[in-house]
Amino acid sequence: MIRKPLRPLALVLEARAAGQNPKDIERENIRARQEQARDASRSRAESRLLVLLLTFLSLFGLVAFQMGVLALSDASEPTSSYSGPSIVAQRGNIVDREGRILATNIDTYSLYATPQDMVDPEMAAKGLVEIFPELEEQDLLRWFTGKRKFLWVKKKLSPEQKQAVQDLGEPGLKFGPRELRLYPNGSLAAHVLGGASFGREDVAAAEVVGVAGVEKTFDDFLRDPARAGEPLQLTIDLSIQSAVERVLQGGMTLMNAKGAAAILMDVNTGEIVSLVSLPDFDPNERPPLPTSGSPTDSPLFNRAVQGVYELGSTFKIFAAAQAIDLGLVTPDTMIDIRGPLKWGKFRITDFKNYGNELSVYDIIKKSSNIGTARLALQIGAERQQDFLRALGFDEKTSVEMVEAKGGKPKWPSDWQDISTITVSYGHGISVTPMHLAAGYATLANGGYRVTPTLLKQDYPQRGPRVISPETSRQVREMLRAVVKEGTATFGDVEGYAVGGKTGTADKAKENGGGYYEDRVISTFASVFPAYDPKYVLIVTMDEPELATEIEPKRTAGWTAVPIAAEIITRVAPLLGLRPEIEPKPQTGVTGASN
Amino acid sequence: MSYLEYHAKSVPTGWRKILYLHWPLILLLTAISSIGFLILYSVAGGSLTPWSQAQMERFVLGVSVMFIVAMVPIWFWRNMSVLAFLFALALLLMVEFFGVSSKGAQRWIDLGFMRLQPSEVAKIALVMVLAAYYDWLPVRKTSKPFWVIIPVLITLVPTAIVLRQPDLGTALLLMITGGAVMFAAGVHWAYFATVVAAGAGMIVAVFQSRGTTWQLLQDYQYRRIDTFLDPSRDPLGAGYNIAQSKIALGSGGWTGRGFMQGTQTRLNFLPEKQTDFIFTTLAEELGFLGGSALLLLYVLVILFCLGAALRMKDRFSALLVMGVSFTFFLFFAVNMSMVMGLAPVVGVPLPLVSYGGSAMLVLLAAFGLVQSAHVHRPR
Repeated sequence: MIRKPLRPLALVLEARAAGQNPKDIERENIRARQEQARDASRSRAESRLLVLLLTFLSLFGLVAFQMGVLALSDASEPTSSYSGPSIVAQRGNIVDREGRILATNIDTYSLYATPQDMVDPEMAAKGLVEIFPELEEQDLLRWFTGKRKFLWVKKKLSPEQKQAVQDLGEPGLKFGPRELRLYPNGSLAAHVLGGASFGREDVAAAEVVGVAGVEKTFDDFLRDPARAGEPLQLTIDLSIQSAVERVLQGGMTLMNAKGAAAILMDVNTGEIVSLVSLPDFDPNERPPLPTSGSPTDSPLFNRAVQGVYELGSTFKIFAAAQAIDLGLVTPDTMIDIRGPLKWGKFRITDFKNYGNELSVYDIIKKSSNIGTARLALQIGAERQQDFLRALGFDEKTSVEMVEAKGGKPKWPSDWQDISTITVSYGHGISVTPMHLAAGYATLANGGYRVTPTLLKQDYPQRGPRVISPETSRQVREMLRAVVKEGTATFGDVEGYAVGGKTGTADKAKENGGGYYEDRVISTFASVFPAYDPKYVLIVTMDEPELATEIEPKRTAGWTAVPIAAEIITRVAPLLGLRPEIEPKPQTGVTGASN
Repeated sequence: MSYLEYHAKSVPTGWRKILYLHWPLILLLTAISSIGFLILYSVAGGSLTPWSQAQMERFVLGVSVMFIVAMVPIWFWRNMSVLAFLFALALLLMVEFFGVSSKGAQRWIDLGFMRLQPSEVAKIALVMVLAAYYDWLPVRKTSKPFWVIIPVLITLVPTAIVLRQPDLGTALLLMITGGAVMFAAGVHWAYFATVVAAGAGMIVAVFQSRGTTWQLLQDYQYRRIDTFLDPSRDPLGAGYNIAQSKIALGSGGWTGRGFMQGTQTRLNFLPEKQTDFIFTTLAEELGFLGGSALLLLYVLVILFCLGAALRMKDRFSALLVMGVSFTFFLFFAVNMSMVMGLAPVVGVPLPLVSYGGSAMLVLLAAFGLVQSAHVHRPR
């Protein structure tokens, strides 16, 4: 930069020549130079300010931009990467036909130990034994001080126990969540529900799997995550089930029976309203499988669907029904019943002598073995077997309980004529009470085959026709006569027109050597109301013996029948049936019934 | 006698000064503070207590101080600059001995009716003393090394004291403020380039020193830096503030949930919701539009101040106004960046909006200086 001199000689000389003070020039130049410097610094300051301003504005812009980005973003909670339990729990509820809970889940805890985290194993073992007296302190201490990294202490804890363990303050004792299957009604409908236990389990969860009853049959359904929260509805009615159980339990005690079963079923839909097998158990604390004794004596044994019994005279109605349906006889046809009936080396006798001949109607009413045998002989083995097959007596029932698979009927291994005779009155063939219920329902409902079920049906079942409606009507009148005037007079319940057939069969010895003389299976198969059947009720007693009479009574008429009558008295109102006056039988058909 | 006093003839006197105040700026400051009252009212769940009313009282006090400062001629303040700076240093040292501990740092002096944060005072005092220095210094000496060292030392003295508290954020802000005034005064850009390079080197050194025996920063400061770099690492701990405020901003959307409808703040998800993180409440309840409106007000404050600075004819006034607006801007920028996750969490309030008397009083007094410069400028 070339500086302008403050006192340029030429100008000074000029000024002097003009008579001016040359110092004015110098002052003027100094002022100009100062102004110039100030202007330079000003422009520099202004440019610096502009730079700062731009910085400000760009930062403002950045903040505004970020604000916009955040405003556009979705508000999402920060999540941790904890992975939940790999076992999906939440099993569906089971409810009765009114939607009342039969089985549900509660959250509880399991207790496990990680010994390496233990602060004071001795105190922990001592404290645990105080809470759980069934544990052994020495065992616990050995485990807690041993090499194991993990061990289960208890699989299920009550809330009180959990609190108590927590109060021990031992960091090596830990809780795992458990979903526990709860049957809030206790042993009610125990055999239907079956039970559940833990399958795969880890500390975070445990799988609940069905082990018996509908819990096992519908295991996949109940565990299906796609149906989460959707309950399984059964045809069982909680109040009716409770009443039937109560009465049957009382009857069993009264009759000194070692077991009993009852099935209440809708004759049209096949819906099982109540199913009882005694003795029973609490599915919340399902007993272990028996290791000794007969499995059929275990509380876990379901007599209604697993137990195959010779059901005796209850079968006679099938022979009569078939003979009528085939047109071989009418209810009024007289049959020769003179006994004993000899067939080869066998002698067929009646309970007592009923005279020379009886009508078919009276054969059923009085339960004549000889008369039934004569009807069976007229039918013949082949047609008899066809009829039994048509009723489903040749295969397991398809009722939705795993135990039903164990109830396979037993037929004579070699079906000879004598088999035809004995089967007609219920010997030599064993079926379950469930089979019998289905058979009676079929006879009573107008002749349609019925399949028992635990699932609600929207419409009456219309299975294959087995007998004609007319035969069905005549069968019902015969069954009604049994209760009115025959072997089951204790079974009459006023207003409900009970019809039915008794059966008392000597129990076969387990080792196959013939029959016991003083042990019977007594059964009463009933339908009500007989003129318009709605329900079939089967009551079976295992080894009943009514000791209140002069001599012990074991026949169904004394044992199963009064219990069935009591059950009907109790449940008919619950079923929505009102006592009615029985209509008069149609004239001309049962004229001989004096 | 400065250029300013020389031209004092044209300066208004007496009560006429009130007419020459920068009224648009006063209006802006009142508007911003009013937004603060509203948000504090909302944060308290629709109640004037405990925050909104106290904030209003402080605002009245601060505005009174601003008027008083504005009435006093600017050359008086220039002459007082060095004294003010020494006073601020004394306050900073007092904190060391009589300070109130708050959240792990000694930063406050209890004055009885309010708690004063000396570092706020120091920022303004630093701006004043540097502006006075460059007013005194002949322009041609501005970039001479010796005359550059002096303001650097002036800046470093309060910075060092603040670092001892320890308050890294404020120390950095002090340095940046000092640098900004020097930059505006026209110091050669090469100096700044050197400092920026040195700063980058320092950052590298800080990270290198971590975990060694010569660790330069406190552990909590490292954690803040970690959290800043990746807040999601610790969403329930160190990153909680940022994560929650991001949720608040995100849930506010464009128009917000509506006044008094914010959930994040109402349900106490946010810590410091009435102080440093108050902007999240505003953003959640009033949305992007509300946030942008506040942003616009701040931009206008800066523009008005810089516009005034350009009309100042003496260096002290220009640099002072620039320095004050820069301090104000730093408050805003650091707080907003922190809330939006652009900067680490340092305890810097949102100017005039956050609850807290110290910053508001100091800022309003500083704007009093701006007003004084505006009123007493030669015409």
